[in-house]
Amino acid sequence: MSHRPPLSDRQRVDVWDATLHATRSVLRGRGLREVLTPVRLSAVAVEPFIEPIGAAGGLLATSPELPMKRLLARGAPSIFQVAPCFRAAEHGDLHREQFHLVEWYRLDHDADTMRRDVEAVVAAVFEAVSAALEEPAVAAPSTWIEVSAVPLMERTLGVSLRGDEDVAALADALQPVRGALGDPLAAVPHEHLVSSPRAHTLAAWTAFFSTWCDARLDAWLLEQGAVGVHLVEFPTALAALSEVAPSADGRQVAHRFESHVSGRELANGYRELRDAAEQRRRFDDVNVLRDAMGLRPLPLDEAFLSELREPGLPPCAGVALGLERLVLLASARRRLGDVTIELGAPGG
Amino acid sequence: MDVNELRKNAKVELDGHPYIVTEFQFVKPGKGQGLYKCKLKNMITGSVIDRTWRSGERLTAANVESHKMQFLFASGEAFTFMNTENYEQVEVQADLIGDDKYFLLDGIEAEVLFYNSRPVGVSLPSHIVMDVTECEPGVKGDTATNVTKGATVQTGLVVQVPLFIKKGERIKIDTRNKAYVERVNS
Repeated sequence: MSHRPPLSDRQRVDVWDATLHATRSVLRGRGLREVLTPVRLSAVAVEPFIEPIGAAGGLLATSPELPMKRLLARGAPSIFQVAPCFRAAEHGDLHREQFHLVEWYRLDHDADTMRRDVEAVVAAVFEAVSAALEEPAVAAPSTWIEVSAVPLMERTLGVSLRGDEDVAALADALQPVRGALGDPLAAVPHEHLVSSPRAHTLAAWTAFFSTWCDARLDAWLLEQGAVGVHLVEFPTALAALSEVAPSADGRQVAHRFESHVSGRELANGYRELRDAAEQRRRFDDVNVLRDAMGLRPLPLDEAFLSELREPGLPPCAGVALGLERLVLLASARRRLGDVTIELGAPGG
Repeated sequence: MDVNELRKNAKVELDGHPYIVTEFQFVKPGKGQGLYKCKLKNMITGSVIDRTWRSGERLTAANVESHKMQFLFASGEAFTFMNTENYEQVEVQADLIGDDKYFLLDGIEAEVLFYNSRPVGVSLPSHIVMDVTECEPGVKGDTATNVTKGATVQTGLVVQVPLFIKKGERIKIDTRNKAYVERVNS
């Protein structure tokens, strides 16, 4: 893919105006209401490798997920938000410490509908950005395919996986690729995790997944060319905040998906986990993993966990899409810094 | 240092050698572990390697400093330089200087690289003006272009120069490839 030169200041204003307008039009047109939730929070979702930035006694939002779910628990209809998000120490062509997620939730829908929404937002923003720039149009994904994550891992690695292995079984299954990939589990602090099997399994799958993305998935995605890819049905340990349930073929899978365009990860969605006890266990597991990796354990969002238990989250699905990355793809620029409005802010 | 402090031009220690990051790429699946993919150059030997770190790993910053220093004198296998700010003197061994010794005019300023307070390299200005101390006369009538002759400068270095250069003139030399650049009118 060839890249065009960085946008001028004026083009950035035009492109963001077009992007925000198109995003809101699509989501409102598809029946969602727009909300705002606080950016400074007392706690954020506990993730293995997402580091919040402190803000005068609180934390800046890493995503609007927990506040939006609290709105749903309190009776909100299907909602969306364009949310400023902050993640410490993410610097790169495709990463910024400050960025925007467009995140939305649908009551009584499965992740299928969310994927159609993602496709509609992507198409609309590609069209709006091309029009705003008065440049030759950048082609939006011609079609979208859905690919189950575990079978794709098997195919691209030549190994046999179920997707719910514990550490020992995963290490065994990956034995054939140790030559090609090195030991994907080498960076797992095994000695600190032996007494916490769930956290240990999470650490192993996270390490393997990160290695696989870099060693195989990125190249496979680029081979798909202009076809958008929804990676669906994740290994159970990588459920994050999604529900684990049988897939159509009867395997236990995490009902989580990632949407990729031109090899770039754009969106991450869930059929949302509604079991408060399981949610607390997962946050605790992540904190055990964080501690073992020498990362600071994070406070749990007790208000969220309490409302997840009572009144409880209605059945829903949610997805978050990185707006800067979408603008980057739609304008055929190379790095986020070519399209963002940063004005020298820290973390740019 | 934490790996998240890695940037282009960061200096890190690997296997006892100082390296500078020449290319840097951060990749991270949204829910996965970040990878810091780096190209690094050995600051002493110049050799280039690829290394990838994962978020959470730690590494050692290289204690590397560069000081502007003035060349004072050579004695045997040692070349003595003086820090132009604090007047401290340091001896640099000949093997670190190599053929650059031909450019060490009295009083010339160079950047001396220190690793753990030991001098490990000297980098000279890219161009230096030197005196031609010996040179055959140009052959009359030879007007062909690209014809050169040898000229010796005050440090004993012989460079190829155009035929019009005469003994006693000053010439600018590129220190990186020991090539004549131009005549300097003084």
